Order: sequence, then C-alpha cells, then structure tokens
Amino acid sequence: METEQFNDVLLESAKEVFETMIFMELAKADEPFDPKDDDSLLGTITFTGDMDGCLAIGCTVDCAKNVAANMLGMDPDEQVSSADVNDAMGEVANMVMGSVKSRIQEQYTNIQVSIPSVVSGRKLENSLGEKARRTALAINIEGDFTAELSILYRMHETATQAGLANKEVSVNAADPSTN
Amino acid sequence: MSNSLMIVDDSATMRKIIMRTIRMSGLEMDSTEEAGNGKEALEKLSSSPVDIILCDINMPEMNGMELVKKVRELSNCNDTKIIMVSTESSQELIDELMAGGANGYITKPFTPEKFQDKLSPFMN
Repeated sequence: METEQFNDVLLESAKEVFETMIFMELAKADEPFDPKDDDSLLGTITFTGDMDGCLAIGCTVDCAKNVAANMLGMDPDEQVSSADVNDAMGEVANMVMGSVKSRIQEQYTNIQVSIPSVVSGRKLENSLGEKARRTALAINIEGDFTAELSILYRMHETATQAGLANKEVSVNAADPSTN
Repeated sequence: MSNSLMIVDDSATMRKIIMRTIRMSGLEMDSTEEAGNGKEALEKLSSSPVDIILCDINMPEMNGMELVKKVRELSNCNDTKIIMVSTESSQELIDELMAGGANGYITKPFTPEKFQDKLSPFMN
C-alpha cells in the first residue's frame, strides 16, 4: 500500500472514530502538528502479521483532556483525571487501528493488534528502526486543536529478513517528562 | 423479569463509554457489574451470574476468547448471553468466537443503534 493510500485510510478511520464515539469533528489540517515545548501525549498500538508496525496519535495534553472529556460525556467544568486521559488516548489509538484494519483486511488478511499504550513527554515520535516506512497526517479536531496520526510499517518479508519483532517497536521521547 | 449486565474491558474509559452508549440506546438494565479482565469477570460470575456479558477480546490476564470458554463451563451461567465488543472484525475470528459460545458481536466504533440491535433480542 502506498503512503498516500494509507493517509486516506488513516483519515477516514479517524473521522469515523471521532464522529461516532467521541462526538468531535475531525478534518485534515493545513498546518503540521507542532507542539513546540508543550507537554504531549502519544497513544500507540503495535501490530504484526502481513506487515508489522505501529499506529500513533500524538497531541498536546490540553487536546487529550478535551478528547477524554468528550469520550466520557463529561461536563466542561468537570476535571478529567490523568488516568482517564491516558486511558482515553490508548482507546483512540485502539479504535483507529481497528478501523484501519477493517479497511485494509482484504489486502492484508493477517494483522494481529497489541494492547495500546500511552507515553507523555516532549517532542515525542514513533520509531521502528531502519527500513520502516512512515506516513503521517496532521488533523484538526473541532477546529480547536491540531494533532498528528502516524503509521510506521514494514512489509512482512522485509520484517522477517530484518528479524523484526513486536518488541522492537518503540516510542522515542526526546526530553521525556513522565507524569 | 430483570436484566443484569456485566461489562468486561481492560479500559475503564471504554467501560464508561459502553455504559453511556447503552443509556443512549434506550435499553434499561437493572444492574451493571464491571470487570477489568476475564479473570476478574470469572470470579464475579462464579458467585453472581448475570443475564448479559459485554466482553472485549484483547485483555491482559485472561482474554475474551478464554473467558467465553470458561463461562460456558459455569453451570450457573447456562442462560447467560455473551456479546463480544471489539475492534477486531475478521469473520474468521467472529466465527471462532461464536463456535466457542459467544452469542453476538459488536465492532468498535459502535453506535447506540448497534447496541439496541444486538442486545434487545436477549433482554427479558
């Protein structure tokens, strides 16, 4: 699958999840996601099979709090806990991955998905080592927040030759500041 | 007749979303239990069976597939209906779960209408 096709699949999948489960509008952003020095969250989920890789959604903590509050149907005045924010970001990654998987399963019949994880810090980015292809998409949420969806992947043959295993999929955090 | 429900998902957020979606669907439950994985669910079900279980597949400790098999071995859960709720959508997996004892399947992302459609046939 070409990078451009993956971008379309990512966008459609994320739109479905945000509109159906989070009740927030999502659109492709004109500007790239640039959190500068703001603390960010990265929800990730890895997959193996016909291709191996990692899907991620990165956004500022402020954006993640709004997403979590909407997912949980909370009032604007209510405080959402860090645990709920992290959990929500993991679920967003999980659901977007599920939606991506259902869209590509005719082409890639064997894809096993892991349990999602979330990291916080600054200047977070996905990493899958050498020979990985990366596609990233800046998205706008409710016109208020910019975030980034990305997929890193390697096709199965390449992955097998390189000895890729799920455990090698990692998340690099430059200047991490864990909560 | 009452309707008792158990939601089994390792994500507390997802358990809350499922609860909210059930409310939005108009379905009325008399009691709702929660469990964070299959093992915890099985412990609760051993002493307190429920009418309907909504169950995730990918969970730590004991996954949804194992839980379905274990629940079907519990004599007090003979009439319990198990609906899987997951992002996994391959027909092969769904067939395997149904053959193992699940009664239905809801894929994420879901809508209140999907819950209404899948749960109402099993409501008392």
